[in-house]
Amino acid sequence: MSFHDLIVEPFSFGFMQRGLVSALLLSLSGGLLGSILVLRRLALMGDALSHSLLPGIAVAWLLFGTNTLALFVGALVAGLLTALGSALVSRLTRIKEDAAFGSLFTVFFAAGVALLSRLPARVNLEHFLFGSILGVSASDLHLAALASGITIVVFVVARRSILLETFDPVFHRATGGRGPLVHAGLLALTVLNLVAAMQTMGVVLALGLFLLPAVTAYLWCDHFALLLLVAVALAAFCSFAGIVLSYHSGVASGASIVLCLGAVFVASALFSPRHGATARLVEFIRERHSVHRSAD
Amino acid sequence: MSSAANILRFRDVTVHYGRQPALQDVTLDIPCGSLTAVLGPNGAGKSTFLRACLGWLPLTRGEIRIGDAHPQHALPRLAYLPQRHAVDWDFPITVRGVVEQGRYPALHPWQRFGDRDHALVERSLAELGLTGLAERQISRLSGGQQQRIFLARALAQGADIFLLDEPFAGLDLLAVEELERIFRSWEAQGRTVLAAVHDLDIARRIFGRGLLLATSVVAAGPMETVLTEANIDLAFRRGKSAGEDPLRTTRTAEFPE
Repeated sequence: MSFHDLIVEPFSFGFMQRGLVSALLLSLSGGLLGSILVLRRLALMGDALSHSLLPGIAVAWLLFGTNTLALFVGALVAGLLTALGSALVSRLTRIKEDAAFGSLFTVFFAAGVALLSRLPARVNLEHFLFGSILGVSASDLHLAALASGITIVVFVVARRSILLETFDPVFHRATGGRGPLVHAGLLALTVLNLVAAMQTMGVVLALGLFLLPAVTAYLWCDHFALLLLVAVALAAFCSFAGIVLSYHSGVASGASIVLCLGAVFVASALFSPRHGATARLVEFIRERHSVHRSAD
Repeated sequence: MSSAANILRFRDVTVHYGRQPALQDVTLDIPCGSLTAVLGPNGAGKSTFLRACLGWLPLTRGEIRIGDAHPQHALPRLAYLPQRHAVDWDFPITVRGVVEQGRYPALHPWQRFGDRDHALVERSLAELGLTGLAERQISRLSGGQQQRIFLARALAQGADIFLLDEPFAGLDLLAVEELERIFRSWEAQGRTVLAAVHDLDIARRIFGRGLLLATSVVAAGPMETVLTEANIDLAFRRGKSAGEDPLRTTRTAEFPE
């Protein structure tokens, strides 16, 4: 197979081009957002959040059809309700925030499934969860560009507040920063990007595109800016590789992208020179050895 | 002492958590360039007092003035170090990266780091003996060094009033001496330190002034007038064990024979 057959030929199709551009756009914003989610220990909350969007999307679809704006607003409302609801439950009752989130998102997800089962099927559950890159339309592409653009602008303008709020919220507050605003903004951006990624990847796999590059970069980088850069580059590279792979193998594109990211992640977790498992194991054994010898 | 030299002034400061008073009628002047230890038993309002200085707590009544300003307008001058700093030590950031954060509040979003910012960061790193460690990731430092990162960040911020919650907790002897040396040099430069301190011996040795709290002020002023046997007794035992040595009773309570 020549280079042309491997790389160029797949993108002679319009739908492949749109799929690729959409995935690359989402890689930019996803790499940034995912890094922050990982550093703020919100990775699992992102997962919960992604499922809770379903009823909002279902209701929006019921009322307005496939209007992208309506879908986004519906998803945003559902996501914010889950986030606000669990924040309220954890403040007002004995329940801690993670348990509140876990409970609320399943209720929301169930409500979404219930709504979908009553709908004339055109938005189906599988599509919401896993997406279909073949069906990326021009308006999906616009939404991806919008989500990516807004995310990048916010990250450029508020980069210092985001870093402070992520690293040391107490210091951020003590110097006059508005932590809740940053938190809510990041949440809204996450929902926006999840909705934008729904068509291409589906919300569950989209989260993989956000989180996997970030955790992989976290295994390599000791600088914040470098971490963001590596995460974005990795997301973009694996999006490209995944789509090419899916074209030639016939595997669903979202899954193929996430599997590529997964392979890099597993390799990094094992072999990253400073923070990987092998390096830590070697260090541990060496330390034990030296303890034995000094005990003699 | 003239009132112009008092950098922090508290008048009838009262703070409630719910209906429970956490601080009651605190009236106090802190002279510029003094080292003041905030003392008292657990729940006496030491942390509340420091957080009130930051303007974080609504005052039920009373007033706090910093220089001539309300706390909200004096934020860059104030540096706050909470108890057991809860940051993620695995965070991908170097010592220099943390100290640079001190300059962030002064910069507009579109403004880049200028020569003055870099110079301030370098000077702060040097003052706290961190220059050689500047490029290290923050988990690769000792406990005392880690604390100094945050003190350096406060210096880079341009702070001259330091509100420290239990800065001596968990430090070994060497780190305590190092911190004492830092406080002394700050005192000489006219910087003001207000620190919640648990250890009365450390308070006596290092701090010139004391504030003994038990929700309200038990005693305040030069350390030797604050940490008298009667005052300690009043604050820690609420006068119940008058006549006994309060220090000894606390110790036997911790280590029963």
